[in-house]
Parts: sequence; structure tokens; C-alpha cells
Amino acid sequence: MSAADSPPDAPSSFLGGIGTSFLDIAETAGGMGILAGKVIYRTVTFKFDGHELVRNLERMGVRSIPIVVVTALFTGAIMVLQAAPLVQRYGAHGLLGWGAGFGTLREIAPLLTALMINGRVGANNTAELGTMVVTEQIDALRILAIDPIAFLVAPRTIAMVTTLFFATIFADVLALFGAAYAGWGLLGVPPTVFFNGLTSGLLGLGDVIGGLIKSVVFGIVMALASCQYGLGVKGGAPGVGRAVNATVVASAAGIFVLDYFVGFALP
Amino acid sequence: MTTTTSHERHAARGARRAETVSIPPPSGLVERRKRGVVATVGAGGVDMFRTAAELYSVFVRTLYYCFFGKTEKGAILAQMFEIGNKSLFFLTVVMGFIGMILVYQAGLQTLRVLPDLQLLGATFLELLVRDLAASIGCLMLATRVGAGIAAEIGSMVVTEQVDALKLSAADPIDYLVKPRFIASIIMTTVLIIWSAGVATLSGMLTGWAIFDLHPNTFLNLSMVDAGDLTIGLAKCVAYGAAIPIVSAHSGLTTHGGSEGVGWATTRAVVNSSLAVIILNMLISAVGFVVFPN
Repeated sequence: MSAADSPPDAPSSFLGGIGTSFLDIAETAGGMGILAGKVIYRTVTFKFDGHELVRNLERMGVRSIPIVVVTALFTGAIMVLQAAPLVQRYGAHGLLGWGAGFGTLREIAPLLTALMINGRVGANNTAELGTMVVTEQIDALRILAIDPIAFLVAPRTIAMVTTLFFATIFADVLALFGAAYAGWGLLGVPPTVFFNGLTSGLLGLGDVIGGLIKSVVFGIVMALASCQYGLGVKGGAPGVGRAVNATVVASAAGIFVLDYFVGFALP
Repeated sequence: MTTTTSHERHAARGARRAETVSIPPPSGLVERRKRGVVATVGAGGVDMFRTAAELYSVFVRTLYYCFFGKTEKGAILAQMFEIGNKSLFFLTVVMGFIGMILVYQAGLQTLRVLPDLQLLGATFLELLVRDLAASIGCLMLATRVGAGIAAEIGSMVVTEQVDALKLSAADPIDYLVKPRFIASIIMTTVLIIWSAGVATLSGMLTGWAIFDLHPNTFLNLSMVDAGDLTIGLAKCVAYGAAIPIVSAHSGLTTHGGSEGVGWATTRAVVNSSLAVIILNMLISAVGFVVFPN
């Protein structure tokens, strides 16, 4: 048990290590692509389990509300604290709403919400699917002629994307409230000035929609990564632990990489 | 003679009962009982208070053992390798992209208001040193390191290795948590300084490629003062201390087999990320009061 607990040994040669990790990444990315195709097919043809979808929405979405609330309120306050020296230096109180607003709506709210939900939901999802693989429940499903993709993966993917989309809207609103009241408490900028700066025309609907598009992309990546790693668990209970760790790391890296490309592609 | 037959009969009855009552294995899909609103909020509050008290206890005991504990040769170095070297690639990739994202977005937004980007680099470097390098880097470390610590200690709890330690009069806090605590504080600081360098480099290249901003203009350190540096380093140390304490607490309170390890990992990631965000808020507020610029 203890021997299997430790992660596999690092390859001895440097080039070999690079090659191995490249092949691993390629295998995971390819697996995620194939999984994405299967999930899209089941979603378009409505071949997914509705009851499981509702259960996952409750488990992933409703139960994540406290984390999203805390994260968003603190994030808003942090945004104002970071903008504070600049605002004070130039005396530009009217620009506080714009500064905190564009940072929150375009980047921070989608990013931090995705990271927190990745930690809570993504890890949990891998652990659950991995435990089902290890205890051969997936094989049991196949024997019963129940498609595991339609029964397990597609509902989880849809639930995770939906959760992240609505959580980001929720976080946008709460973070702006947190920012407005932190600005009031710390800098003496009244909330009306803050919200005027927010709506004075420098920020448009495009910024909000850009953030929401990001959240959908992050949701898809998180869902596919966590399902892929969960279904690929090997080696009993310690394997589940390793898969959970790998999922969280892979999704977090994927979220940042895609954040750049989506931000680049959006006008 | 009679004893063997009664024994056999007993065994046969046991086997028959096991067949008829065959309990399905736990599915992992545990649904919680429905509770009222007041009960839910109250239970959450009590839970949070209890967790805070336990975290405080783990923290104080770790600090105590840092000074009066037994030293195990090489344990801190092994943890430094585990926490530091193995996070290097991950952190480099993430912080490289962070530098590109921030400069690109900030440049676009600034161009909506101001025509020139002379101060983009200076502002970016100030923000990076004071907050973003430490906070975003440590959110990433909380994910990777926190999950690793909780999974490792959690599986030791489940396989009763921690109980074995206690039986051998070795406090798990001294033997397991302390090396991770010290290693994490050192390596977090080192990694954050490295990742700030990576983010600066990628941001500089982005500014050059997209906004035609010369590297000499970009690398303007005039806005970075001692206060920014102090706040940034204080954040590194605070996060580096918080992540192993929170994750080790999640690991040590694991219960319920391999599934429990999964839960402990999840809890460690969420709680250490929250710890980073809350500490960021506190240190930023204190820094704003102490170094008002």
C-alpha cells in the first residue's frame, strides 16, 4: 500500500522526462477531445440522464454558493485595495469604478470563480468517478447496457458549465458590491460615485459578455479534465488521490492558458 | 463431535444470512438529510468556529515544534523538493500566461482612456510586486501543494500510519506537519520571486510585440518602493505558512476510507484558497494603512 502510495519515479534522463511528459499531455488532451465529441453527441441528441443532471446541479451549483459569495466579496475589496494607491496619487475617484469594474468583469471574477469551483467541484468529481472506476461500478453500468457517458459524464459536464456560468454572474454582482463598499470604507469614495464610474460608458456589455464567454470555456475545460482523469484512474485508492491532484493542477493550468487565448480572441 | 457439528451449523447459518442480507457497497453518492434554514446556517457557523479553533491549535503546536521539536535529518529538504522543485514547471507556465494576460488587458483598457502607455510597465511592476505575483502564484500553489499534502497525510490517516506514529510517541504535528511548514515558507518565497521574474519577462515581451513598448520603457521600477516589497514578501510568508497548516489539518481530520481522502483533498484546496484570499485582503488593508504612499 505504502509503495503504491508514492507517485511514480521520475524518469532518469532529462530528454526522456520531457518526452514522457509531452506524450502524457498529448494523451490527456486527445482523450479530452474524444470525450468532448462524445458528450456533445449525447447532449445534442438529448441522450443524457435528466435526474442525474438535476442532482449534479444541486450538488455542484447550490452547494458552491457560500464559497462563491465569500470569494467574490473579498475579491472586490482586494481590487479596490490594489487600485487605491493609483486613485489617491492622481485623485481620480471617478475612475475607481471603471478600474475595479473592468478588472472584475473581464478577468478576476471569471478566473477566481473558476479556480474556486475547480477546487471544490472538479476535485470532487474526479474523486467520485475515480471511486466508481476502482469499485468497478462503471463496468457494472456497461453490463446493464447503460452508457456511462450519457449517464455520468454528459450530465456532469452540462451541470458544471451551467454552474460556472451562473456563478460568474453572481460573482460579478457581489464583487462589484464588495468593491463599492470597500471603496467607501477605505477611500471615502461614495458608492454612487463608484457606480457612476462603472456605468459612464467606458465599460460596455461586451466586457460582461466577454467574462461570461470565458466562464463557459473554463467550465468545459474543468468538466472534461475532471471526467477524463476520473475515468482514467488506475491502481486502486491511491490512484484516486493521484488523479484528484492531477485534475486540479491540469484544470488550473488549462484555465490560465485558455484565459489568455480567449482574451486575445475577444474584441 | 457435537461441538464441530454445532460449529458447522453456525457457520452455515452465517453464510446464509450473509447471502440474504447482502449489503451493497457504499456508492459514494451520499445524500444529506434536509435541514431547515436556521439549522443549516447554525451548523455552518459551529463548523466554521470549530475548524478555526482546530487550525489555531495546529498552528500553535507547529510553531512550538519548530523551536522545541526533534529534528529529522533530510525531512525538510525532501519536502522542499516536493513542494518547490515539483511546482516549478506548473508555476512557470501559469505565471507566464498571467504576465501576458495582464499586460494585454491593461494595455487595451488604458488605450480607451489615455493615448500613451508610458506608465503601463511601471504600474504593472508595482502591482506584480505588491500583490499579483504572491496572490496568484499562491492560489496556484494552494491548489497543487495543498492537494498533495492533504492526499498524503490523509492516506496516512486512513491506513492508520498516523496512529502508529502517535503510539511511538512521535507527534504527527512534529513529524509530518513541521517539515512541510518550514519547507513551504522557504520554497513559497523562492518560487514567488521566480514567478514574478517570469511574469515580468512575458509581460515585457507582450508589451513589445503588441503595443510596441520598448523593454527599457517597460522595465521602469520607479513606482516600486520599499513598502510594496515589504507587503509582497509578507504575503509570501503568510501564504507559505497558511497553505500547509490548512491542508495538513484537512489531511489529519480525514475519515472514511479512500473516499474520505478525496473529500479531504477537496477541502484542503478550497480552504487554502480561501485562506489565501482572506489573508490577501487583511495584509493589503494593513499595508494600505502602514504604507499610504
